[in-house]
Amino acid sequence: MKLTKRSQIRDAHTLAGAYAMDAVSAPDRERFERHLAECEECAQEVASLRETTAMLGTAAAEPVPAGLKERIVAAAAVTRQQPPADETEPVPLAHGTRARARIWFGSLAWPGRLTLVTAGAAAAAVLAVAVVFGVANSSMQQQIDQAQASSQQIAVVLTAQDAHMTTGTVAGGGTATIVMSGSRHALVFTAQGLHALPASRGYELWLIGPAGTRPAGMLPAGSHGMTGPVIASGLRPGDHLALTAEPADGSAHPDTPMMLDMVL
Amino acid sequence: MTATGSQEPRDRARPAPAAPAGTDLASQIALVARGEATAFDAVFEQIGPSVFGVVKRVIRDPAQSEEVTQEVMLEVWRSASKFDAGRGSAAAWVMTLAHRRAVDRVRSVQKEAERERRVAVAEIPFDEVIEAVESSLERERVRRCLGSLTEVQRESVTLAYYRGYTYGQVASLLGVPTGTVKTRMRDALIRMRDCLGVPE
Repeated sequence: MKLTKRSQIRDAHTLAGAYAMDAVSAPDRERFERHLAECEECAQEVASLRETTAMLGTAAAEPVPAGLKERIVAAAAVTRQQPPADETEPVPLAHGTRARARIWFGSLAWPGRLTLVTAGAAAAAVLAVAVVFGVANSSMQQQIDQAQASSQQIAVVLTAQDAHMTTGTVAGGGTATIVMSGSRHALVFTAQGLHALPASRGYELWLIGPAGTRPAGMLPAGSHGMTGPVIASGLRPGDHLALTAEPADGSAHPDTPMMLDMVL
Repeated sequence: MTATGSQEPRDRARPAPAAPAGTDLASQIALVARGEATAFDAVFEQIGPSVFGVVKRVIRDPAQSEEVTQEVMLEVWRSASKFDAGRGSAAAWVMTLAHRRAVDRVRSVQKEAERERRVAVAEIPFDEVIEAVESSLERERVRRCLGSLTEVQRESVTLAYYRGYTYGQVASLLGVPTGTVKTRMRDALIRMRDCLGVPE
């Protein structure tokens, strides 16, 4: 069937309803969006129809299952937000690449300041670093691998079906928030407002239970009052999570009083 | 259950019901863009049940619906700075993200949908929607406006929006030409829009 230009336009107009209900195939969607970019009238119509379908959606509202909000809020706390539009302009290579790579590298090197990097973003970061520094040396590669592995582990815990969130008060100041998944035998730990320690000391996490007392990792230095997220794995039934201040390179056993004791 | 409201007068004069809540949601989303966790909590309180409800209506499976709800809300968190109040209400922005993602999820498991669509006609989706609708003012209005559509318009809307079918699938399901379905969908939504008092 051959269509005149005019009837093609009319045809595109007609698609507004189906498009506003996402009742179009991917190629149709693409074609219609190209048309929308050139047709102010259609864009207005689609906007008003979207308001309408939003109300159809709202009419289907139902109570959210217990725990879903807490999981989502906890996941958001460790998810990087997109900057506003003007900051996403590509930076000219000659001036910006090195600085940008340093930012990427900075955020990758200290998992404590790591926001949840998606696999794609992490790969892009590795690429950015490699472009600037040539072939990555092995220790840098190791740090990147570690950071990547840790952010993936964090994502796995946060999105686990049985993930749930608990908070606890740290003696001496601060609040700890954990998201724990029994099925993954792991938890993600973050803290707010921890007292800053001298450089020679650091916070250490412990898992304490019938299986004994095991060190569960040093916390990275806090940034803007936030510490973590860090992952602690190898949870066993009956474990508690504890926090102590230890020498900066860590201890094999807790030597100072518990500042936090959370039943898991 | 009979829900024929076609004799009811159109109520264009009513104020757009989404407006007061929408304004509030928009300002909360502006705070979310600045990384305010408490605002994100408030956004979830306000729109989370709608997101979950529409996602579940399209996807059906509760576990998958929770996953998609999480994806949608994290997308709201991530891209809050991209929300432009000049282009529509905050509710429409979030619900568009939600519906599109739900639809994309079911289309990626198209075979399942193929199986399901054989029973779709007998199920009378409209009644099912009506059943779930509780007595809130806005829901009552949507219910009444859906009732004011012609039967074929209502079928097209419910199959497309609440089931996530494409107009092509709706056409083959109802045995009518695709052009007819497209027109019907647009006419139906325009009628809904006018009935609900959404500004053009």
